[in-house]
Amino acid sequence: MMTVEQAVEVLSTTYQSLDAVAQGMVVDVEELEDAIAAAEADSVEAVCLKVLSKYNT
Amino acid sequence: MALPNKVLAGFSASLYMQSAATPTPLTTANLSVWTGQVTTIVGTAANGTGGAGVLLPVEAVPAFGQDDAVASFGVAGSRQSDKIPTQSAPTSLSITAAWNPSDTALLQIRSDAYNGTVDRTFVVAAVDGANTVAYAFNGRVSQFTIDASPSAEAKCNFTIHPRGNQYGWSNNT
Repeated sequence: MMTVEQAVEVLSTTYQSLDAVAQGMVVDVEELEDAIAAAEADSVEAVCLKVLSKYNT
Repeated sequence: MALPNKVLAGFSASLYMQSAATPTPLTTANLSVWTGQVTTIVGTAANGTGGAGVLLPVEAVPAFGQDDAVASFGVAGSRQSDKIPTQSAPTSLSITAAWNPSDTALLQIRSDAYNGTVDRTFVVAAVDGANTVAYAFNGRVSQFTIDASPSAEAKCNFTIHPRGNQYGWSNNT
């Protein structure tokens, strides 16, 4: 399991499909929900967290 | 973020690109981020220009999106076969522009076509009033030709091939 911060770092710098990359990432759901609540709407973090949340529920 | 909640009957579309000779294209995630990312190319004002972008003087913005791709199956003796959609490639954009040999953007396009491997972020900006909806994608330029027919103004034609999966939508607030 990786931290949400590490996952966002990978997702925000990749040129691959975000879905393809996020599918292989397992993060703590509570940590993810906290990060989503704290993220600004129009930010790279929000984009990455939204994709992460599709595969970590 | 507020998207215009209406049919954009009167919008105008324009094509922007990163202006640097050897740009660092936006990452996949950043292609969906308006503030500080897409705005560096298209600017914050509708029909503006960002500090790292330039407007491409094209005649028309062509259709963009995904190509069609299906696997077709047929069974002998069966009345109906089956078409199963598969992963498709992004649609290539064939573009025509009036050829101006001193236009910075067109010279950069020509240079990219000669190189063939320069990844650059392009943005199709649809503007209606103060609203901008942006489709950003990374692509490479290919097939740059100049049509110097004496019967009309000189044209240049080129094709932008978007890279797979590297696209994003965003809009101003």
